[in-house]
Amino acid sequence: MTRPSEVKPREGEQPAALYKDWVIGSEFPELRFTITPDIVEEYMSVVSAEASNYVIDGRQAAPPNVVAVYLMAVMYRKYPPQQGGIMIGNTFKFFHPIWADETTEVVGTGRLTDKYEKKGRKYICYQVDFHRADGQQLTSILHTSAFPD
Amino acid sequence: MIERTIPQTQEMFDNYGKLNGDNDILHYDDAYAKERGFRGTLGHGLMYTGYVADLAARKYGTDWHYRGELTVKFVRPVCPGDNLVVSLDEDGTAKCESQFDTTLVGSAKLRTDD
Repeated sequence: MTRPSEVKPREGEQPAALYKDWVIGSEFPELRFTITPDIVEEYMSVVSAEASNYVIDGRQAAPPNVVAVYLMAVMYRKYPPQQGGIMIGNTFKFFHPIWADETTEVVGTGRLTDKYEKKGRKYICYQVDFHRADGQQLTSILHTSAFPD
Repeated sequence: MIERTIPQTQEMFDNYGKLNGDNDILHYDDAYAKERGFRGTLGHGLMYTGYVADLAARKYGTDWHYRGELTVKFVRPVCPGDNLVVSLDEDGTAKCESQFDTTLVGSAKLRTDD
C-alpha cells in the first residue's frame, strides 16, 4: 500500500518552487505506487462516495478518480509545494476501471504544460497520466493551480 | 437532475488532508485563511471533484469508468459550516452551491471520440 502522504512532499518541509522555477514542458519524474483496497475504502469515505455507484457486472470498482490523491505528488516531487496554493480547476478523463478488491500497481507521469500571470496571481498548468504497471491507461488529468509566489 | 447535500466540517477537510498528504495551512489554519481574505479554512478542491464524480458514476454507470470526462472549476471557496448542495443535470452540467454562493461549475459527460 502506498499512502499519498508517503510520496508527496509536504508544504513547508523543504524550500518551495517559485513561479520563476517552473519550466513549461519540463517532465516530472515517474511515480510508482500501489492502490490497495484500504486506500479505496478510505478514499470513498473522504469524498462521501456511495459504493453502489461503482459496481460493474457485480464487481466492486473504485471511484476512477481515486488517483486524485496522488496527483499533486507527481508534480511536487519535481517542484516542491508552496504554502497558500489554491486549486483553480481540473479535467479528468477515465479509461479503465480500478478494482476495489485488488491491489493495483500504478505509474504516474506528467509535464508542466503552461504558466502565466493574471490579475496578480501566478498560475501553473500541468498534465498527469496514470497507467497500470502493465501499460493499461487509467486516467489523464489536466490541472490548474494558483500560487502566491 | 440528481443532487446531494453534504454539510461541510473541518473534520472532513482534515480527513481528506490526512489521506492526500496535503499540508497547506489554508486547509486547517483558520487565522491564516482569514488573513488571506477567506471566511475560514478552505475545503480541498479535489474533494469536491470527488463529490461531482460520485453523481456522475451514479448517472453513467459502467461507461463512466471507460469514457467518463469530468471538468470542474472552483469559483468560490467552501468553508466549515457551509451546507453544500452538489448537483448534476440531465445534460451533464455540474454544480456545487453553498448557502453563500456557487462554489464549483463544470460538466460530467461521456466521450464519444475514442
